[in-house]
Amino acid sequence: ENADPQRTAFLLRKQWTLYSVTPLYRFSNAHLRDYARLLSSFIAAEKQKGLAVEVGVELDIKVSVSSLPYLKGSDQDQAAILVQLSSRSPASPKNSEEKLIWSGWFCCVSGDDLSKNVPEDFTCLPLFLVNGAECYTSIVGSWFQKTFDCSFRRLAISPLILSWMAAMWTGCKVDKTASAMELVFSVPCLPQPLDISYAIHPEDAKALWDTVQKTPGEIIQEEVDVFMDCLYSHFHRHFRIHLSATKLVKVSTAIASAHCDGIIKFLQSQYLTGVLMLLTELAISQIE
Amino acid sequence: MDETVAEYIRRTVLKIPRDEIKTMLQKWGLLSETQLQTINFRQIKENISQDVVQLCEENSADIKQAAVLDIIYNHVYPNKRVWSVYQMKKTGEETEFFDLTDFKKKFKRRLRSALKNVTINFREYEDNAIWIRIAWGTPYTKPNQYKPSYVVYHSQTPYVFISASVLKSNLPLLCQALVLASNYHDIREMELRSHSLNSLKDIVFKRYSQNFQTHYPRPLQERNVAPESADLRIIQENKTEKERIERVNREVFGDGPQPKLEFAQYKLETMFKSDPQMDVLDKKEPFRCLVKFSSPHLLESLKSLAPAGMADAPISPLLTCIPQKARNYFKIRERKHFFPGSFVSP
Repeated sequence: ENADPQRTAFLLRKQWTLYSVTPLYRFSNAHLRDYARLLSSFIAAEKQKGLAVEVGVELDIKVSVSSLPYLKGSDQDQAAILVQLSSRSPASPKNSEEKLIWSGWFCCVSGDDLSKNVPEDFTCLPLFLVNGAECYTSIVGSWFQKTFDCSFRRLAISPLILSWMAAMWTGCKVDKTASAMELVFSVPCLPQPLDISYAIHPEDAKALWDTVQKTPGEIIQEEVDVFMDCLYSHFHRHFRIHLSATKLVKVSTAIASAHCDGIIKFLQSQYLTGVLMLLTELAISQIE
Repeated sequence: MDETVAEYIRRTVLKIPRDEIKTMLQKWGLLSETQLQTINFRQIKENISQDVVQLCEENSADIKQAAVLDIIYNHVYPNKRVWSVYQMKKTGEETEFFDLTDFKKKFKRRLRSALKNVTINFREYEDNAIWIRIAWGTPYTKPNQYKPSYVVYHSQTPYVFISASVLKSNLPLLCQALVLASNYHDIREMELRSHSLNSLKDIVFKRYSQNFQTHYPRPLQERNVAPESADLRIIQENKTEKERIERVNREVFGDGPQPKLEFAQYKLETMFKSDPQMDVLDKKEPFRCLVKFSSPHLLESLKSLAPAGMADAPISPLLTCIPQKARNYFKIRERKHFFPGSFVSP
């Protein structure tokens, strides 16, 4: 199922920080408006305490909580929930436009593994994606934790998973002229740290992957290993450096880019659900 | 004093670290010692700069004088800019006597004949370095003092270091003016760029300790090596291999400190070759890649890779040739023999 590109356009080309979230207790889709109101009061209260928000900025914060029913993998999945904070400076006129200052959305794409094992009162939305200032993330997170007895954890992405992403996404067909397939490696523990960016022409990367992948639609670990080894050995041939001894920290393709600190950027709506499915799986394995 | 001059001076002073302001103003020489003594250099920078502007007002400073302060600042902090290296060419072998006055006159004349609105300043430093600051305008607008280009020319050499600023369209004119003024015939941009001006000078003037290009076994030199640990029960594994790596590494990188570069970029257009058993890509066309290395001190970083076990020793000549070839941008194509010509094959 591909989500309508128009409706998902706002998710593209933004940097999202990833978290895994344990199931929410007694969360209901029917009460989204109430949640928005309660969260709004919570934020106001935190501001009073002097805790919230950016220093020196007096803002009127408006909260909206909505459902994104088209963001799911199977029917068993919960619809994604989007929380947005917008602001309007009290100085500006009432009808002036509100500025979106923070977005966070919970989702579950093909998360059957988790939802089938969880009791009735719980809602499974294991993946949480955030764009915006850390201070708001922390307030919204606290409110959810308190209200639904859940917990958030930053989702890191290991080099192993990043390699999978590199292989998977390289194989995807892209209509327009694709951007390069870029791998970024870091060697922090030297007297002088070193970063290596290794970008391959997307056609050439895809040609290589196509000869490695034996069964279309299916990827096995061995194929990912061969693909990466080919790239490492081509690099070694030129520079005599063992990339396998360094840390793969970022992968960038025309489909999406991912950073080991758990940061993702979606670049093609066509493949959005596919990437979310992988991320949901990662989130679930972090929870379990 | 013009308001724009006042503002420019104010902003230039604000860039200077507070503890350096007095020294720089003294170097500048526009304000007298008496005037300088009236300034409290302990206050916040905003206030110091206001005081400076006021005194400059008393001295009726103009934009050319204000620009000198900018040159001084950039001379002390050149690493805030990115510098490219250009090499000029003469057809004849004659070393002509360098006439500074003639150079300046010709340079200014060439620029001014093309552009009415341009601010040009010269300042000479030790080791024959001539610093030129150019603020560019258009036929209809005054020069933008906030986006000047900087040129550092060592008159006894064919090398020019340029920090062009954002207004790259003026580069061809600048190059022309340099060639004309210095009596050369041509100028070309080298594939060498860095924040560290001194390192660029080290590289092109060959002021660093060079490595050896031939490979022949050298006897291990006696070095003042302290014992690894006092406890004789601890034995170092692979001692011989470790020593070989150290020795080879020193040979290819040289003994002294490396020039400071921040990045090196390689455009690879070579063939993808794999183990035939792997049954992978076997194209007749190049496998196109772009590799970029970055580090606060790239060459030192690369030098530490082999001892850290992350690279072979010797590491690739593509990396160690950077100072000799005086470049950090490369395009590598497939050749009959894998590495570009000048390397001795082991």
